[in-house]
Amino acid sequence: MKESHDKFAKQAKALFDESVDRLDAATLSTLNRSRHRALEAASAPTVNWLRWAPVTGVAVAVLVAALLLQPDPVTVDTMPASVTEMEILLGDESIEMLEDLEFYAWIDQLEAGDDVG
Amino acid sequence: MESRETSVVTLELGVSWAGEQVTGTRALQREQQLNRFLAETERRALRIAEIAVRDRDDALDLVQEAMIKLARKYGDRPGEEWPPLFYRILQNGIRDWYRRQAVRRRVMVWFGRGSEDDDGYDFVAAAPDPGGRAPDQELANNEAMDSLELAVRALPARQQEAFMLRTFEGLDVAGTAVAMGCSEGSVKTHYSRAIHSLRETLAEHGPAGSGE
Repeated sequence: MKESHDKFAKQAKALFDESVDRLDAATLSTLNRSRHRALEAASAPTVNWLRWAPVTGVAVAVLVAALLLQPDPVTVDTMPASVTEMEILLGDESIEMLEDLEFYAWIDQLEAGDDVG
Repeated sequence: MESRETSVVTLELGVSWAGEQVTGTRALQREQQLNRFLAETERRALRIAEIAVRDRDDALDLVQEAMIKLARKYGDRPGEEWPPLFYRILQNGIRDWYRRQAVRRRVMVWFGRGSEDDDGYDFVAAAPDPGGRAPDQELANNEAMDSLELAVRALPARQQEAFMLRTFEGLDVAGTAVAMGCSEGSVKTHYSRAIHSLRETLAEHGPAGSGE
């Protein structure tokens, strides 16, 4: 049984090899080009992104931890809410105003106090 | 004193240059070895892929993809490991191709442009045209190979892989097991069943079928 199986396999292999030999020139040329492309790809330097994965992971973890664990920032009221950034930017006297921000903030506070009083 | 320092620097540069040359020579030898392996394998690989996917252009794409992956990922491995690794990559590519085809077929059915059991393959149209270019023997062999191809295509996927890798490519049981990603016992089982099935199917097709 095994002998006849082997004989069958040999005959099948012979038929297969003949069909390989019958491949046309255009196909062989395409194969040749593919092989050279593969060899070029092998010699081209590649960046192994996986190599950097642990370092990147640690860096991201440290960044997230730093953001989560940092104390609440101290808010300093330097400007009343009524003076928005857009008002400063759109105003005609914006440059002068930027130079005297504290002064205008003080005036604004005074006006707010008058309104309440 | 100065001349001694100069000679030391010159010597170091010389050693470094020689080292680079050795590395360059090794890389070149490696590339030539890989080139030889791929040149010896590519045509058989193409026919194996073509029998599996029934389309030469798709088979060419699959072989190119396998060659590039082998060269990139395993180019520095010992040459003896290349055949099973190459065929493992190729078989994975063929399996992915089947998955994509199945999805495509489902989509076509969804849009009403096909049916579940119609794979659109015309065996007669796909058979190579002898075109009167061959003597009787070649014609007979062509026909026998066509019958063999059809019978191989009709095998279950794993039996098909085992038969083609063992018979057509000539991998041993261990190499075929690596290429198929299974145990050696499974390879033997798939191969034996494939041979039985093929001999039964081809019994009426003369020499290759009967084994006489």
